Amino acid sequence: MLFNSIEYLVFLPAVVAIYFIIPVKWRWLFLLFASYFFYMCNRIEYGILILFTTMVDYFVALQIERSSSHRKKKAYLVISLVANLGMLAGFKYLNFFSESIGLLLHSFNIQGNLPVFSILLPVGISFFIFKSLSYTIDVYRGIRAPEKHFGHYALYVSFFPQLIAGPIDRSSGLLPQLHHPREFSASVLISGLKLMLWGFFKKVIIADRLGLYVDEIYAHPETYTGLSVILATVLFAFQLYGDFSGYTDIARGSARILGYDLMINFKRPMVAKSLRDFWNRWHISLTTWFRDYVLYSLPYIKNKKVSFTWLYANLIITYLLMGLWHGASWNFVIFGFLNGVFLIAETISEKPRRRFLDVTGISPSRFLKNLTGNIITLSLIIFTLIFFRADNLKESRLIISNSFNFSNLHLSVFQILRDNELLFGILALVVMLVAEHLHEKHDLVRIIASRHIIIRWSIYAGFIFFILIFWAQQKQEFIYFQF
Amino acid sequence: MTRKMIIRFLLFLALLVIVNFILDRAFKAFSVHNIINETMDRQYVDYRGTMKYLTIGNSHNCINTHILGNSFNYGSPSENFIQSYYKLKHILEEIPQKPQNLILQADISSFGPKIANRFEYNSYWIRYIDYFELARIKEDRDVLTRWLEGRFISYAGNYKDIQLSIFYRIKVKTLEIYNGYRPHRDYRNFANEPNRQIVAWNKAKLLLSHETFLDPSIAVYFEKILQLCQEKQISVIMVRIPMSKEFYEEESKIVPVDELYGAVEEIACRYPVYEGMMDYHDLFFDHPEYFFDPDHLNIKGADLFTQRLVKDLGEVPSAVFSEEAGETSGNP
Repeated sequence: MLFNSIEYLVFLPAVVAIYFIIPVKWRWLFLLFASYFFYMCNRIEYGILILFTTMVDYFVALQIERSSSHRKKKAYLVISLVANLGMLAGFKYLNFFSESIGLLLHSFNIQGNLPVFSILLPVGISFFIFKSLSYTIDVYRGIRAPEKHFGHYALYVSFFPQLIAGPIDRSSGLLPQLHHPREFSASVLISGLKLMLWGFFKKVIIADRLGLYVDEIYAHPETYTGLSVILATVLFAFQLYGDFSGYTDIARGSARILGYDLMINFKRPMVAKSLRDFWNRWHISLTTWFRDYVLYSLPYIKNKKVSFTWLYANLIITYLLMGLWHGASWNFVIFGFLNGVFLIAETISEKPRRRFLDVTGISPSRFLKNLTGNIITLSLIIFTLIFFRADNLKESRLIISNSFNFSNLHLSVFQILRDNELLFGILALVVMLVAEHLHEKHDLVRIIASRHIIIRWSIYAGFIFFILIFWAQQKQEFIYFQF
Repeated sequence: MTRKMIIRFLLFLALLVIVNFILDRAFKAFSVHNIINETMDRQYVDYRGTMKYLTIGNSHNCINTHILGNSFNYGSPSENFIQSYYKLKHILEEIPQKPQNLILQADISSFGPKIANRFEYNSYWIRYIDYFELARIKEDRDVLTRWLEGRFISYAGNYKDIQLSIFYRIKVKTLEIYNGYRPHRDYRNFANEPNRQIVAWNKAKLLLSHETFLDPSIAVYFEKILQLCQEKQISVIMVRIPMSKEFYEEESKIVPVDELYGAVEEIACRYPVYEGMMDYHDLFFDHPEYFFDPDHLNIKGADLFTQRLVKDLGEVPSAVFSEEAGETSGNP
């Protein structure tokens, strides 16, 4: 079930209405039922997978707590890791590994056909597995006590607003909230609806519209050159942001209507001044997951000293895995690797850059410094996104080489200027960026809420009908659903 | 939650419903496509006399009913075989006027997935299409959103139609329709287009897809049209409308043309009412001046093409609009 589908527009109000009507003690059960229904609408068998993860991690966490020896605790954690990561590897990476081994053998002139499995990737598998895994690791580390109520834990893993594409909330964030069913609050309901509306704007007005242009260029990379390709790649970054942050807003809005708070996943990443800043603002629930459970778990002390070599190697490993998390292809591996390398380069070059400015006596204004940092950061991120968006390495190479071919510049300009959908999408994108800036500075939601009811309602109604009139006719799936 | 807040919330919902109702009605009344399609509907109902030819298709179908006598041109913008089937079914079952022959537009773009999934102007089509049956056949629940759009929120996502309706009122002004034919494409000429090939490519990719050349749902409804004509004993003639050379070149880069028409003929030949294909796609390859844009003839081009069609059908033209008909190139 897609958030931007008619089914969801029926499902959500029905769930909200029933949730607040039924007695408080049954609410968790109803939400659990609704969440499984939501997930199994895609495919009934998927329910078994999520139930398996839930049961394994629920019992493993209890056993970890009950075990007295550290060895036993570790053994139980390994069970959880093997079960979860095994399932993820089986469904998501089996063919990738098989193809890669085949290629490796072929390069050594060893012939032999490795099997290719026909496996359908379950929607959102990477999200709910990571969520459940973070819980067992937290219990193992003693950060939290295991959840005793199986129903609450099952609901934490399957909670429908965040089931398909996150945010990958930690057990410390959502699980305690599930113990205390929320009372209906009109202000919370309205706040949730506003957030959803903003999410829909980002998805159907911006992302879907920019997607028409980007998809066309990336579907025929051999046909397009120069400006068209560069523009498509730049716009893909904004499409991805509109799509995923729009999804997150709808997810968070849906949860808020029910009285639950999900973690913030994006903090205006497009204004990041450095790569480190960018990754602190982009898909926060995933980057912090990898920081807490991968990066911090890798060794970096050698001879009782912090080894920077190890630290950088760990960073590369973490970003490689983060790239691979997105999808089973070498393109995602390169995407992760490049981000890791760029991040290390940024860290290493920090002192020399500062020294260079001191020596030359150049003291740029804060604005200029931020602007330069932002342009460099976005350029690097956008470059890595070529590998994220292209279907394979060959296509990525073609996109990169065609980006430098300006032989048909006048045709590219002609094409771009005649594409009304594209121009409208770019205009809407500018509106979104300005609105986000103003909201951060002045809290636009509060300002509008403080206006007279006629003005307020006119703005809300106007915004709703604006979205309805101008939504892109060609509906597209959320990009992160495939992960 | 206070009583005041509940009342306010309900009032806001009521406001949304009212504004939606007004916008929906206003769009239905304002949309130039609705006006055109409804005028054609009225003209069809009011048609008197023998209807020898009924022509169906989309905006490419520019058969001039002044020239092809005893005919009605029921082609409408962006119409696909799915919509054509439901309209034809309605005509044949509900209206006493029956055609003797059906001229079915059969361009390369008539069969692909892009046209199969292009459901525009649902506020008009809702009177003909059984969206629930269509959703079952296409195995796509999203079709039901089209029903919802047509019934309650006709303006949703249709900003282009609003833009076009404004443009039409300013630029075209008159709405002349004779037996379904609308001579209106005279305000632009493809020959004057400096980048003909790129414009043609843009249009081709808008209409065609590499995915498949014959969409399964189009194949189903194409057969349904033939079955319906078989039941009602109406002869079916397929016609490929003239296209610009540039457009055809771009089309054939995307679609394997011979394979497509092989598959189409294979289906059509199963029905005895099928008379054959009249292929005019290259009739004006050397005459971009007869085109409005890469894939639409202008008024003059439409007249010349219809005169040629009339001649090939063995009919006598009802009216002759140009003396150049015999001089055109091509070998249909």
